[in-house]
Amino acid sequence: MIGTFEYVRVGSIKEGCEILVAQDKRAVALAGGTDLLVNIRNTGRSPDLLVDFKQVEQMNDLVTDSDAGVKIGACVPLNVIADNRPINERHGALAQAARSIGSYQVRNRATLGGNIANASPAADTAPALLVLGASVNVEGKDGSREIPIDELFTGVKKTSLKQGEVITDIVLPSLGSQVRSAFIKKQRVRGHDLAIINMAACYSPDTGMLRVAIGSCAVTPILLPEVAVSMDEPIDELVKRLNVVAQDAISPIDDIRASAEYRRGLVPVLLHDLIRYVLSPGGGRR
Amino acid sequence: MKLHEITITVNGTRESVSVPAGMTLLELLREKLYLTGPKEGCGAGECGACTVLLDGRPVTSCLVLAVEADGKDVRTIEGEATDGQLSALQRAFIDAGAIQCGFCTPGMVMSARALLERNPHPSDAEITEAISGNLCRCTGYESIIAAVRLAAERGEK
Repeated sequence: MIGTFEYVRVGSIKEGCEILVAQDKRAVALAGGTDLLVNIRNTGRSPDLLVDFKQVEQMNDLVTDSDAGVKIGACVPLNVIADNRPINERHGALAQAARSIGSYQVRNRATLGGNIANASPAADTAPALLVLGASVNVEGKDGSREIPIDELFTGVKKTSLKQGEVITDIVLPSLGSQVRSAFIKKQRVRGHDLAIINMAACYSPDTGMLRVAIGSCAVTPILLPEVAVSMDEPIDELVKRLNVVAQDAISPIDDIRASAEYRRGLVPVLLHDLIRYVLSPGGGRR
Repeated sequence: MKLHEITITVNGTRESVSVPAGMTLLELLREKLYLTGPKEGCGAGECGACTVLLDGRPVTSCLVLAVEADGKDVRTIEGEATDGQLSALQRAFIDAGAIQCGFCTPGMVMSARALLERNPHPSDAEITEAISGNLCRCTGYESIIAAVRLAAERGEK
């Protein structure tokens, strides 16, 4: 037995939200369970009720449209995102981030909605969603609303979701076919460890603007201010410039995975690899 | 504690059972259905010893609630052999010497099974990726990769 909770499977978002509100903090939403169930097992602290949203059709939909963008139901498993061709082509950072999480088996259960609702500072999909300009649709007793992803994370394991609100889907804006994004992370071992640091970048050749987001280096994933990139600027100079901004924005801590100093030291290393990739569509332009 | 009536198909056989909400799929398989092939190693989805196929996809059954599997199809290592004959994939594990203590093997075989179903001719890199969620502490992986390669060469699907 993993815990002493009760379980209910809901057929609609409304039904689930009503239960969450009625039960107040005694009930929690269940998606893939790969964080929630491990946490219940490890801490021995169990909510009274798990409300399973996985049967809700809308939360399993994945709609890709090159004009309208992408809408990913909160309960879509990470493997489905990692294997989706349009997402790989147009929103590569998210596909790469999804593919980097856990093991193949875990990615068949873990969901995108769960990864961000869990709000770990090390959530791998978070930097990708930040640089891609995603937003999340949430629903609760007062109706539905849209939250820009950079307003979702408020602290360690804390979000701006209100009691009884759930993420229903994640929306990625349509990006031009030239836009290039990528995700990178450093971890102690591959597959079964959270990131020491993770990072995503997105570059738009049309506007010349570059966005970078960093995870595992503050209480929330951090989106750096967008910077204009000149193609004349050597990549080392660009990395230096971004590193100054990044070092100011992050506040890493010492933990079991790495020291704060090591994390700070990794920032320019990862920046270099990531930026060279997104700025060089043919590979090796600089 | 409230019991949930669920029906799952395990290795082709429909089973109706009553389970408490907190019971994992792994516990249901091992303790109620006496299918002790899937093992509990870490209990946290990291070692892969409990890997089974849920609607054809490999999952760590220690992180799936039995109630979540209601209405679904489950395959375990016990479903590999037919009429007392090992599957070609199991035979390849033996022929390649991919077994030592055997604790990880039921999970390894199920991850390999799922790989060969989605990709009958995997590269070594694809095999490595597919079993990266299955830890082995004795054979050193090389012989396991060789076993999956051998099964693919023999046309195991």
